[in-house]
Amino acid sequence: MKINLKTFVLPFQYNVDKSLEYYKILEKLLNRNEYFVVGKNLIRSDALDKCLGKANFTADYLSKESLIVKVFRSCKSHAIIKNIETSRAMNIPGIEAIITARDIPGINQIGYALPDQPLLNDTKVHYIGDPIALICAQNEEAAQKAEESILIEYEELKSVFDISAALNPDSPLIHTDGNVAVTTKIRKGNIEKGFKNSNVIIEDTYWSPYQEHMCLETDGAYAFPDGTNKITVICESQSPHLVREKVAAILGWKLNQVRIIQALTGGAFGKKDDTGPILAAYAALSAKTLGKPSACIYDRIEMFKTTPKRFPAKFIYKSGADKNGNLTAIQVYITLECGAYANRAPFWLWRQTAHAAGPYEVDNVAVDGRAVYTNNVYGGSFRGFGNLALHFAVEQQIDKLAYELCMDPLDFRLKNVLKVGSRTTCDQILDHSVGIEKCLKSIEDASKWKEKRVPIKNGNTLKGWGIGCAYHGNSTSRSTPDWSAASLLMNIDGSFIYRTGICELGQGSPFGHVKIVAEILGANIESIKIEIPDTDSTPDSKPTHGSRGLMMGGTAAADAAIQLREKIIKIAAEMLDCSLKLVECKESYAYNKENLNKKIPFNEIAEELHIRGLNPGAYGFYASPKRNYDEETGLGINYSVYTFASTIAEVEVDTETGEISVLKIWPSMDVGKAIDPIIIEGQIHGALSQGIGFTLMENVQLHNGNILNPSFKDYIVPSAFDTPEVDDPILIEEAYKHSAFGVKGVGEPSIISIVPAIVNAIYHATGIRFNTLPITAERMHKALKEVKK
Amino acid sequence: MKPLTGFNLVRPRTLQGALTLMATLEKTQPIAGGTDLIPLYREVQCEKTNLIDLSLINELNGITESLNCIVIGSTTTHTQILSNNLVAKHVSALHDSCSVLGSVQIRNRGTIGGNICNASPAADTAPPLLVHNAEVNISNQNNNRWIPLEELFKGPKLTVLQPDELLLKIKIPIDSDSASAFKRLGRRKGFTLSIVNAAAFVKREEGLIQNIRLSIGSVAPTPLRIKKVEEEFLGIEMSKRVLDEIGQACSDQVKPIDDIRGTAEYRRDMSNILIKRALNEAWRRTGGIIE
Ligand SMILES: Cc1cc2nc3c(=O)[nH]c(=O)nc-3n(C[C@H](O)[C@H](O)[C@H](O)COP(=O)(O)OP(=O)(O)OC[C@H]3O[C@@H](n4cnc5c(N)ncnc54)[C@H](O)[C@@H]3O)c2cc1C
Repeated sequence: MKINLKTFVLPFQYNVDKSLEYYKILEKLLNRNEYFVVGKNLIRSDALDKCLGKANFTADYLSKESLIVKVFRSCKSHAIIKNIETSRAMNIPGIEAIITARDIPGINQIGYALPDQPLLNDTKVHYIGDPIALICAQNEEAAQKAEESILIEYEELKSVFDISAALNPDSPLIHTDGNVAVTTKIRKGNIEKGFKNSNVIIEDTYWSPYQEHMCLETDGAYAFPDGTNKITVICESQSPHLVREKVAAILGWKLNQVRIIQALTGGAFGKKDDTGPILAAYAALSAKTLGKPSACIYDRIEMFKTTPKRFPAKFIYKSGADKNGNLTAIQVYITLECGAYANRAPFWLWRQTAHAAGPYEVDNVAVDGRAVYTNNVYGGSFRGFGNLALHFAVEQQIDKLAYELCMDPLDFRLKNVLKVGSRTTCDQILDHSVGIEKCLKSIEDASKWKEKRVPIKNGNTLKGWGIGCAYHGNSTSRSTPDWSAASLLMNIDGSFIYRTGICELGQGSPFGHVKIVAEILGANIESIKIEIPDTDSTPDSKPTHGSRGLMMGGTAAADAAIQLREKIIKIAAEMLDCSLKLVECKESYAYNKENLNKKIPFNEIAEELHIRGLNPGAYGFYASPKRNYDEETGLGINYSVYTFASTIAEVEVDTETGEISVLKIWPSMDVGKAIDPIIIEGQIHGALSQGIGFTLMENVQLHNGNILNPSFKDYIVPSAFDTPEVDDPILIEEAYKHSAFGVKGVGEPSIISIVPAIVNAIYHATGIRFNTLPITAERMHKALKEVKK
Repeated sequence: MKPLTGFNLVRPRTLQGALTLMATLEKTQPIAGGTDLIPLYREVQCEKTNLIDLSLINELNGITESLNCIVIGSTTTHTQILSNNLVAKHVSALHDSCSVLGSVQIRNRGTIGGNICNASPAADTAPPLLVHNAEVNISNQNNNRWIPLEELFKGPKLTVLQPDELLLKIKIPIDSDSASAFKRLGRRKGFTLSIVNAAAFVKREEGLIQNIRLSIGSVAPTPLRIKKVEEEFLGIEMSKRVLDEIGQACSDQVKPIDDIRGTAEYRRDMSNILIKRALNEAWRRTGGIIE
């Protein structure tokens, strides 16, 4: 869908001051100087059901009669399919259908950015696990037998398992247009001059590997026919409307023939953004072909082996600074490994390209990026979206420059960080909401950084402290239109239904919307019920990714609430017999600020609304301010706003075993406005574990395209024992003008600065730099041994 | 999700009943806590198996003292062992190992019999039992025998147990003047299999090593007793240097391999470190200090 937002209009239709920016709602619209619910820690409305196990996830909806949809996959990493033989499998009792590419009624294509990914392959396979057929069976045993009975005749091709092999001119082509899927570029200032004016230059190469999300809930979708020309799918996703679009295209149907219900989702981290449409399409294909309810639920091993992971990437950095400690120039080459399909690679690569300088002002920048296919499992969305890997590299560069200049790494950062008026990597001028300096200063104090500049040796342990910074453009980049929507309905009893396509993935974003709504309406928070997203009734809020759920979706919620508030106030004013200005709403009562004795409950107002024939609903719509981008130079207004974060880590290294313990973390983040501090704290704590995992232990072990450790047993994620003490997170509130109460996204920014903080602390403790992750005990031990030699 | 099919579960209430079933049914496999077996069944398809559940048999559960020995029934869980004072006092290496094995849930279900019959080279209770000279009682319907634990292990996941045999109990001699300790290294700080583990048993006479037994796991096809080193250092005066020599000597004796959890080289180096740490701790527990 292409939308051209020629002119940007603030979506206010009522008699609201047109110059109102959303961050001023409190003072300008609500005429208050204190919040009722925003900024307070409340118990989430979904907490009790989840604690009691009463919340329903996809697999909870399955009916007993549901067919099992099992994916038959390639055992080859690169091969031409000569023949698919399913007749033997079809004869197994309990097998209802075996669906291959030619049975797909619509378009056999599921690629996200590029049309390079068939839903089912019938000409070629590109990695071990590439889907070829769907087995629709009455039970697991039959499905398993059928899986063993399908025969594929392959003509094997040479495989490429790393980016350098793929870039070799003699390399076999994985897709027809060559092994480079996409390239990016930024040219700013004069790079030669920049390096000429540098007194120190640091050059290094970094490799950031795959990471698996390890969502607790495995992927699943359940589809059932709704009459003869409609299918409903209950599934996990991060964008029910994207799932609808993809499923309809595959079924060859109109959008209104597919209904997607987003079940509560047990962890996503980006994974479900990619797997949601695929599993929904599998289940829907079976339901349409056979007219029977059908479910596709992966187990851990299938999920691990076949679904997208964090894209690996290689960075070659050259960074310069002058003797006063000012950054002068950076030159960066990025090579992203797509794996078998491009999927999100163009966006991922662009994000890395656009953030390449880190949260610092650098006048001379040259970045070249390319995304390269291999025959490994493909990459996809994952919290941090390129910026985790990027900051692992850039923040070590910054650290190295500081040490080279004999400057304190924190002071060096303070000198160079983005401030109001600074220009980003892409030459975007930041005119407000830039809190990185405050973040740094606050954790400098909290951690007593200055007292911790000498590593401590104690017996066989070494202790050190490191710092990492991060910035992360919220939501979509470049000139891509960005908008969100929400709807709000006042029932006749004064309760509310709130609808958003922003998904509940454990993070609590929809609850944040409800707090915004409750604040603006003056409604009791318990009176607002969040409906699970259902494409038949929920507006398209665009995806729950890019840390946009609250920042974009919550602002659409504000827009809906502002509209409904207008009506409530108008009626209340008449019922209270006072002017509009005097009406205040609180805890689902309207009253006259000057005469507190008279209160009208919301149910009476709701009734009055209906009696008068006024629309009791509101549709909120919010579009980001227009951005722009120059294709030639890569410069422009890239993201409407950035979230900033910094972290200090204290680590201890056992010099005999190489074990690394993260002992303490001091986190800080510029969140714009903390709608719910405890949810942010939750994000930070979770991100910490995920960040420690990525830095110290998580290791997808690949051999010739085979994943050797596809389970919790051998893919090691941190346990509670690996979780450090966390100092109270410091939340800086540099409000963003165009979002509800000034809110910015926190989901991804919370993880990005953790990785470099730990890596830099390890350097501080041991004097050893690591250019690849994870830094396992074994790798550390080996490095220590080499130093001793 | 792969279904768990292909087995038939039988739940005898007496040992005699279990042994009869083991002797008469086709393709039997005992199951205790199932914490090794069930994940295995998920991974590999099994032929029709009769699972003989041992968990209802009272005779196989519990810890008793008899004839200066501690006797532990095969279905005794790690949690039970952990809360037993006799073990804490006399077999501290075993207590150590049960305190770090798996997680609370795994310790509540997993049994000592299952841990050793599973015969993983990395089994955490094996090195402690080996340094305490444990013996195991094995039985089928007709015969009952005692063998040293060391002789039970034949290779990775292999034991000398015959298809109709059960392991009934484990006997550990009490040696009051001794002390022992266990150390391990995993890929994270908890809930994980060991890359290497080690146990040491010592008796001290003043500064002299009066008796010493050493064992290292996950560095050979079976958990190893390092007898060559034990003999070499018997009667020697303990010191920091001797401790280093013992560590080095042990790492020369192990035969590790590369696998998904670690390389042979790392395992060899860690054998040295862990055995030293275990021995140091055991020595400290005897009241000795190493300078
Ligand atoms: C998450 C997790 C973490 C774990 N962590 C550890 C760890 O840290 N350290 C560690 O050592 N292990 C660990 N394990 C492995 C396992 O929990 C232990 O080995 C446990 O002690 C096995 O006991 P069980 O009773 O569950 O064995 P079961 O699975 O019931 O049986 C294991 C084997 O022993 C046989 N068997 C059982 N009892 C008898 C008997 N009386 N006679 C003959 N054969 C018998 C069975 O037939 C089977 O072959 C872990 C497992 C999991 C799933």
